Amino acid sequence: MAAQMATTKVPEVRDITRIERIGAHSHIRGLGLDDALEPRQVSQGMVGQLASRRAAGLILEMIKDGHIAGRAVLIAGQPGTGKTAIAMGIAQALGTDTPFTAMAGSEIFSLEMSKTEALSQAFRKAIGVRIKEETEIIEGEVVEIQIDRPATGTGAKVGKLTLKTTEMETIYDLGSKMIESLSKERVQAGDVITIDKATGKISKLGRSFTRARDYDAMGAQTQFVQCPEGELQKRKEVVHTVSLHEIDVINSRTQGFLALFSGDTGEIKSEVREQINAKVSEWREEGKAEIIPGVLFIDEVHMLDMECFSFLNRALESDLSPVLIMATNRGITRIRGTNYQSPHGIPIDLLDRLLIIATSPYTEKETRQILKIRCEEEDVELSEEAHTVLTRIGQETSLRYAIQLISTAGLVCRKRRGTEVQVEDIKRVYSLFLDESRSSQYMKEYQDSFLFNETTQPTMDTS
Amino acid sequence: MEAERILQYLTEVEEAAEDVLANKQQIVDLDTKRNMNREALNALKHEMASEEKVKVCFGNMFIKFPKAKTKEMIQRDQQQLDNEINNLRQALKDKLNRLNELQGKPELTGYNLSPLSNVEVKAINHLIKR
Repeated sequence: MAAQMATTKVPEVRDITRIERIGAHSHIRGLGLDDALEPRQVSQGMVGQLASRRAAGLILEMIKDGHIAGRAVLIAGQPGTGKTAIAMGIAQALGTDTPFTAMAGSEIFSLEMSKTEALSQAFRKAIGVRIKEETEIIEGEVVEIQIDRPATGTGAKVGKLTLKTTEMETIYDLGSKMIESLSKERVQAGDVITIDKATGKISKLGRSFTRARDYDAMGAQTQFVQCPEGELQKRKEVVHTVSLHEIDVINSRTQGFLALFSGDTGEIKSEVREQINAKVSEWREEGKAEIIPGVLFIDEVHMLDMECFSFLNRALESDLSPVLIMATNRGITRIRGTNYQSPHGIPIDLLDRLLIIATSPYTEKETRQILKIRCEEEDVELSEEAHTVLTRIGQETSLRYAIQLISTAGLVCRKRRGTEVQVEDIKRVYSLFLDESRSSQYMKEYQDSFLFNETTQPTMDTS
Repeated sequence: MEAERILQYLTEVEEAAEDVLANKQQIVDLDTKRNMNREALNALKHEMASEEKVKVCFGNMFIKFPKAKTKEMIQRDQQQLDNEINNLRQALKDKLNRLNELQGKPELTGYNLSPLSNVEVKAINHLIKR
């Protein structure tokens, strides 16, 4: 049985049916690398950015091997050059077993939690602990239940339970407690049941297929299962992966385990964290747990301020630390919370610890490819000329703007009952929706007629 | 030449697979025996509570034996079976890992961990039974 358990993979816990909306990066399936880590030009939704993708691939391999826990990576580049896409690609390629936590830099600002608390929670969400649960169970199909009631009507009942698998059959003597729980579960001949050896808990798995014809009139909720194989007394081993944060939450006494579901967990005392750390390292020493350093991705990292950066510096040194991936689109700018200028808005001492991956603007051919992929993702048919026009728009304004036009043009096209988006549709939405540069052009021309205009105000620092 | 190598590889995989299957079958056989012993012990306790001596079947011969001694004998046998099954289960994991390795499948994660104790499982149950 252990082998059967082992060969059939542990069912995925996160398997919840959900309707996937078409997000900005929903077309990304991985980093698009081949086995030798060489990037393919177009693969898994990724286009171009060969050098950065290769770099990300190297880091991915190291994460998988568990080599670079406690290190940090910065993805830097202009807006719309695929920084988030690369991070998403890493997340997809890591699979479900490695924890990946994504957050935006501004998420840490909350009234309920201090900034460092929010950061430490994010850190601990990104560290997985693998543990194993082992139970001895008796699993079989009920052949017969025989219960002897004492003639006097009172007194202990005794009985016999016959269970079988495809290989064997045996008779168990039943005590009064067992009889009670069997009748409570309404177990009858033909049911497939498991009995937990340690607790004596009985659970019904369903009815055996061989007995399917016994009763024609059966409720829809009756489940049919195969008669179990192999030995009757089995050992069931299940491996779970939980994050450190989840363990923190159940152990944080003021909150109780319900906090996990309400979403708002509040602050967790540092003593609780220390206790958990101690327990987990004790488990690790006893061979009861494996630590899986995951990935924490902080987008728009320039939104963090000085306090957070120094916290990061410290947190990366801890022995329970995930791989930190950050992304920013800023150049040399002011560090938040100070008056100092620094590259990427990140203090030099933190920058020194980072591996930096740069992304570069897409070429025309790449833009064309990305637009094509997005069209497929959003289920919009694009004619050849319209594609060329859209690529042009993407080059001259921004890739994001061009992507926005896809679905809007698709709508216009559907309205005139066309099957394929034509140049006219693109033109129409181009005139309806302004891009960033045309909008600011418009502002400059008509700023006098807007309210509260102060021409002397300095422009926003986005350099 | 090429064919020979493939054949050799396939033989190796098949052997490993056969090994796993044999191991599984052995566990089943031992468990059958264990259950039969358990039934015997129950019968001795309930159905033959008053008897002094019982008839025990060795091979194809019935021998009359003192009850206490029979009980002790079966219990010892039972203990040995438990140990043997445990060892086989441990060996099964190694064999399965070897088979996976030969087939180029990734090693099963976490199966060499020792299990959490009951108390620990209970404490963490809320997480596991999401």
